[in-house]
Amino acid sequence: MTARGAEDRVTREIVGIPPHFPARRMWWVLFAVALALLTLFFVSIAWLFGHGPGVWGNNIPVAWGFPISNYIWWLGIGHAGTLISAMLLLLGQQWRNSLNRFAEAMTLFAVVCAGLYPILHLGRPWRFYWMAPYFNTMSIWPQFKSPLTWDFFAVLTYLIVSTLFWYIGIIPDLAAARDRLKKRRWRLFFGLGALGWRGSATHWSRWNQSYRLTAAIAVPLVVSVHSEISLLFAAGPVPGWFSTVFPPYFVVGAAFSGFAVVAMLTVWLRAMLGLHNLVTARHLSMLGCMTLATGMMTAYGYVAEAFFAAYAGGRELQTLLDRFHGPYAWSYWGAVILNFVPIQALWWRRVRQAPVPLFLIGLSAAIGMWLERYMLLMSSLSRDWLESSAGLFHASFWDWGLFAGSIGLFLTLFLLFIRFLPIMSAFEIKEVEGGGG
Amino acid sequence: MTGDPRPYAVMAEFADADALRRAAADLAPRRLGRIEAFSPFPVEGLAARLGTRDRKVPAATLIGGIVGAVCGFAMQAATNLDYPLWIGGRPLVAVPAFMLITFELAVLGAVLAGIGTMLIANRLPRFHHPLFEVEAFRRASDDRFFLAVLPGADFDRDAVGKALAALDPEAIYDVPAEPAA
Amino acid sequence: MSAGASPAGRAFWRSLDELADDPGLTAAIAERFPALGSIAQGWERRDILKCLGGAVALAGLDACERVPDEEAMPLVSALDGMHPGETRYYASAVELGGVAQPIVGKTVDGRPIKLEGNPDFPGGSATDAFTQAELLGLYDPDRSAAPVEEGRPSDWARFVAAAHDLRGALDASAGRGFRLLTGPVGSPTLHRQIAALLDRWPEAAWHLLDPAPIHRDHRLHLDRAEAIVAIDDDLLGPGPLQLWHAQGWAARRRAYQQGDGDALLFVAEPSPTISGATASERLVAPQAAAAQLLVALAAELGVEAGPRPALTSTEAAWIDSAADALRRHRGAGLVTVGEHHPPALHALAQRIDAALGNDARRGAARGGPQPQSADALLAAMLAGDVSTLFMLDVNPGYFIAGFDELAGAVPLRIHAGLHRDESAILAHWHLPLTHALESWSDGCSAAGLPTLTQPLVRPWLAARSRHAVLAALLGDERSDRAIVRASWPALADDAAWEAALRAGRPPGDVEEGASNGGESAMPVEVPGFSTGLELVVRPDPSLWDGRFASNPWLQELPKPLTKICWGNGVQISPALARELGLENGDRVRVSVGARHVDGPVWILPGQARRTILIHLGHGRRAGSRVAEGVGFDATPLARATGRVRIERLEGREEIATTQHHFAMEEDEYIRFVERAGDRVRTEPPPASFFPPQKSRPAWGMGIDLDLCIGCNACVVACIAENNIPMVGREQVAMGREMHWLRVDRYYSGTVDAPEHAFQPVPCMHCEDAPCEMGCPVNATVHSPDGLNLQIYNRCIGTRTCSAYCPYKVRRFNWFDLTGDDPPERKAVRNPDVTVRQRGVMEKCTYCIQRIEGARIDAKKEDRAIRDGEVVTACQAACPTGAIVFGDVADPASAVSARKADGRDYDLLPDANTRPRTTYQARIRKGDTA
Repeated sequence: MTARGAEDRVTREIVGIPPHFPARRMWWVLFAVALALLTLFFVSIAWLFGHGPGVWGNNIPVAWGFPISNYIWWLGIGHAGTLISAMLLLLGQQWRNSLNRFAEAMTLFAVVCAGLYPILHLGRPWRFYWMAPYFNTMSIWPQFKSPLTWDFFAVLTYLIVSTLFWYIGIIPDLAAARDRLKKRRWRLFFGLGALGWRGSATHWSRWNQSYRLTAAIAVPLVVSVHSEISLLFAAGPVPGWFSTVFPPYFVVGAAFSGFAVVAMLTVWLRAMLGLHNLVTARHLSMLGCMTLATGMMTAYGYVAEAFFAAYAGGRELQTLLDRFHGPYAWSYWGAVILNFVPIQALWWRRVRQAPVPLFLIGLSAAIGMWLERYMLLMSSLSRDWLESSAGLFHASFWDWGLFAGSIGLFLTLFLLFIRFLPIMSAFEIKEVEGGGG
Repeated sequence: MTGDPRPYAVMAEFADADALRRAAADLAPRRLGRIEAFSPFPVEGLAARLGTRDRKVPAATLIGGIVGAVCGFAMQAATNLDYPLWIGGRPLVAVPAFMLITFELAVLGAVLAGIGTMLIANRLPRFHHPLFEVEAFRRASDDRFFLAVLPGADFDRDAVGKALAALDPEAIYDVPAEPAA
Repeated sequence: MSAGASPAGRAFWRSLDELADDPGLTAAIAERFPALGSIAQGWERRDILKCLGGAVALAGLDACERVPDEEAMPLVSALDGMHPGETRYYASAVELGGVAQPIVGKTVDGRPIKLEGNPDFPGGSATDAFTQAELLGLYDPDRSAAPVEEGRPSDWARFVAAAHDLRGALDASAGRGFRLLTGPVGSPTLHRQIAALLDRWPEAAWHLLDPAPIHRDHRLHLDRAEAIVAIDDDLLGPGPLQLWHAQGWAARRRAYQQGDGDALLFVAEPSPTISGATASERLVAPQAAAAQLLVALAAELGVEAGPRPALTSTEAAWIDSAADALRRHRGAGLVTVGEHHPPALHALAQRIDAALGNDARRGAARGGPQPQSADALLAAMLAGDVSTLFMLDVNPGYFIAGFDELAGAVPLRIHAGLHRDESAILAHWHLPLTHALESWSDGCSAAGLPTLTQPLVRPWLAARSRHAVLAALLGDERSDRAIVRASWPALADDAAWEAALRAGRPPGDVEEGASNGGESAMPVEVPGFSTGLELVVRPDPSLWDGRFASNPWLQELPKPLTKICWGNGVQISPALARELGLENGDRVRVSVGARHVDGPVWILPGQARRTILIHLGHGRRAGSRVAEGVGFDATPLARATGRVRIERLEGREEIATTQHHFAMEEDEYIRFVERAGDRVRTEPPPASFFPPQKSRPAWGMGIDLDLCIGCNACVVACIAENNIPMVGREQVAMGREMHWLRVDRYYSGTVDAPEHAFQPVPCMHCEDAPCEMGCPVNATVHSPDGLNLQIYNRCIGTRTCSAYCPYKVRRFNWFDLTGDDPPERKAVRNPDVTVRQRGVMEKCTYCIQRIEGARIDAKKEDRAIRDGEVVTACQAACPTGAIVFGDVADPASAVSARKADGRDYDLLPDANTRPRTTYQARIRKGDTA
């Protein structure tokens, strides 16, 4: 047996993580926190199902509350994973290889969190499947002209596609893990996942075709998904929603929040698992750039929206002024400040490459984007057409409980992922290093 | 290390992708039997050299996309006509409103077809394979590169052995057809 | 009056918080969302129960109460030949304040489920909110079920025995020390019985307790009055006479709309009422100024010689135009003063009418013995002259502060009433009375016609009617049916009797006195100008004198001007609020002399600067779980005298209101034209991709804002017809009220003397309905006859429809609001209307069950549905006929005629929804002077 090379180092560093987890104690602490929040999630759901949507702060006129804004927020976060993975793959950006695997995992788990919200949001959640077209004795179908039906299809498609994309991407690394690890249970675990992958040239060529085709399809898919989410608003004759700027505005906002969260996760994993030579300062810097870029696009969205409202006048203008001065002004200005002030620091490479600042900036952007979703919903619904029906929304304990709980769900899934699966695309890194390309 | 007269394959191990490429280029023209290469990561142009490249996946993706789109639109139009309901004063078949779901189903069809075809054409999943009997092959997913010659009609073990040896591989293995009990 | 009017139209604003100090737009917007305050988070189960009439207590009863309604409530008619689901109608009447409200009661399987007006009566075709809510009163689970003796359950036999002994004693003493206390008595039979009692016991006395006085000596025919001057007199306001007055006024108003004569209403009042809101000219004047104004008016018209009192310029201007209008409409005018003002003022008002030859006022005949005042009773009790107090369907324990001490000295106290209320717990004997809908009785309608009251259902509690109770006291064992019939010798033979029952009235006509009994001049003392505060205590617009406090429908009924539910407030003027730095919900103490009450402040624009108004009927202490503890009790101040003071207390108290929201600068929710015949500005119909709907029939509605007086009758009718659940105080405060039909009210102008307007808002049934676009499961779709349908069992509760609805008329079942209703509450439900489950959306259906009923009838006779055959619940109840419903595709239909009027307009035309409900602009009398 000859000495092992660079490829082997890569394999060891990545595939070696699950059996020889570096930061067990830290992991358990975080996992405990996540489980606690997850428990809160289930308690909130139990309470909700026991009493009804009235446990939230929703009312008439604010018939939509936390569930919808959180839904949009989570889904937006998810999009970054697909963009990093698919778009950068097509652009041949090889630095993505260190990030795309867990970015995609983040996508999956975020989409799961997002997908649950519209169902929990229903007055009769046990009937959610009526949104799906299936033959039934009433021979009645979904209403295909409704943005909600569009969303149902969009999110379902998105979930399936990103799951498959993530899975076929991870197969070769599962094979590597299968072949490398000694313990039988690990071999069984990874062996089943690897589907008997042998890495033959023929397999690789077909794999390559489908992986890249899926990537090519995933990019427009992401755009379409969040555009449709935006139509949830834009299709309704509600001042502050009824605007053509919404689709692109939502998409870039989604990417923005997503990159912010990816940056946070990267910094965290890098520190926790000591991946410094796989995730270099350059990676952080690139993430900083993406965050900055999408952030500035989102800022443009704000400007455009304000301009259109001012140009339209009437109720649109009034809603804009409500956002500036009304009872939800805090969420508007909070969004503006948290979203667009800190990211300006990212113009400097030294900031981009510094983990802690990058983490904090990502955090503020994530919070800022949550505020934006909240603001868009509340400021428009609470006062739309008739003054007589204007009314305020006040979040209840269970609103917050469910939200915190969904974060717990996300963390739980993500922690399990980093504990048991290869968190980076080892073979693609090897491909770059070993001159496969 | 001589197996029975007809092994599953005779396999050479190489240290890096270039060696494998060269070996494939060298061996492919000679009619020793079907040649298959194994690598931890996709090696550019290898399949093309071995002549095992096909376009099943793109074709399936295209077809899946078209089928998905057609079904998507047909479903919406049909259900609206099957049970006509007045919705917001809009026409029964509102083409713009139907486009989004049509697109989503096109995407779904394309991706499912593409990935499905990839797995089927690759005969996956297959959990047991003679190659896995070769201990060294475990590094095929790590850092080693293998070239296997599968016996054809006129199989000459020695000729194949010489040919492989001429490529100065790290090692040469006989892959037994049947798993050693 | 249109300060702040914008070029595009009128500036409307809905609450103070918006016009507060800074007119600047930005500041205004900042003000614009008055915090709903500390909204109780989550679900206060207690309050759901409260408004459901205390299902808790009945949870145990369920076992025995869950029986078919037929058994729970025996039928009036025999069971044989009765078909399940059979609907029957009975002409009857319910009584309020001694005035009978003629009704036709609808019963299904023997359960009364809806009350409508009785068109056989002049001005009887509609109903007011109270009459509608009487239905729920019948099913009140807190009604007392059996006699109570000394706080222990008892039975009638024991009372009959006790009554026998009492009778013996009273016969011996000629009734010395026996006092009968009643509310206003309108029933001839009851009057006859009381007369008999006083004949038998000459020493006994009869006293009247009437906390809510109304015009009793005279009957006002507003339909004859082209110019009405009402000084501190809420003619159109809630109360026994509302229906009569509103219909008279509406008749005149409609004639005026057709260009026949005039319909002017001048109102001077301390605090806004719906009369003031409807008035063509409203003057804000303290109650104390009434005498001044009347004398000034008399002087202006030359009726009274003598100096014209000093008036402010606004008052003078108002007097001038009022006097001018009266002169112009000599003989067709009317001057009235609130009944709570001294007789001298009424006399003066009548002299003015007499001088002008007005004949809108007619004397109301009154015969038989007249009651003494309640004060006389109190004096007697204080003097110890009362040995037996018989409280018949009256609640002095609540109205008269300190009554319990006085009553303690009376040896025998008997109370008869529907609830075990504040007076019942003071009494030795509490006797449950039957509800009007399960009693035999008679009465006199507001128009002066006699009425007959027959039971719609047989009593299921051990209760007896007023007549039976009095009869039992007098040893008369006849059934109350017999007792009542004995009052009508004309109906001796059965045919006549049955005919009378069917008509709901005995034959006979109104006997009215002369148009103006030549009132002798009485000296009117005009109070000097005072800078102090004045306190006005009035019956509550929703609970009246408190007798309806146990009625969730009325507790949750937004008061016309304040839109407050489930409580009351200390209403003060914006000026006073500014002066004291008070905001809505701040707790204050209002003191009069030695007495005081504490409550939260409510700032009401258009209230006289120094006037404080509090509504009676709240803060009930006993009798009903629904009523107890809602709001605060103003009765201590009702009769108090002395200096009025108001001081701030610590803390705030959330007042639940369905609308305290803000204004738009440019919007014209309510449009005005200057005079009859004017047209609203017509804008071209907005462009649309989609062709207008063509369907036959095409149901539509027209609501004439010039006739709407905001009386809420339609709202309660809608609740009764459509099984609308009540949600309770906390939920209302969170904005979760369920009313399908709401009455918005807007102000415009200055906060001190604004212009008011009402706007009922049902579902618009838009042709291009945004809600339908939003629904992912086809739960809200359009019907072939142009209705915007809501399919409850298809709805999954995404609430998108509500988010997309520009009119926000949709209501959502945030909780299971009906599941734990007590059996009584289930019995009141309309079987033709689905009871909605948790998590589904609901809204106005244009009473689709009535449409279907009419369609089926038409199909049976193989014909089209006739115009006017479908009458929605709100339309049927509306006292002024403001609501018209029908087929807009039929050019000959009434609704088409209404929509052809030049005043017709769409609400929110820029939403481009093509609403089927349209409004007719209100006519502002630009030319009153």
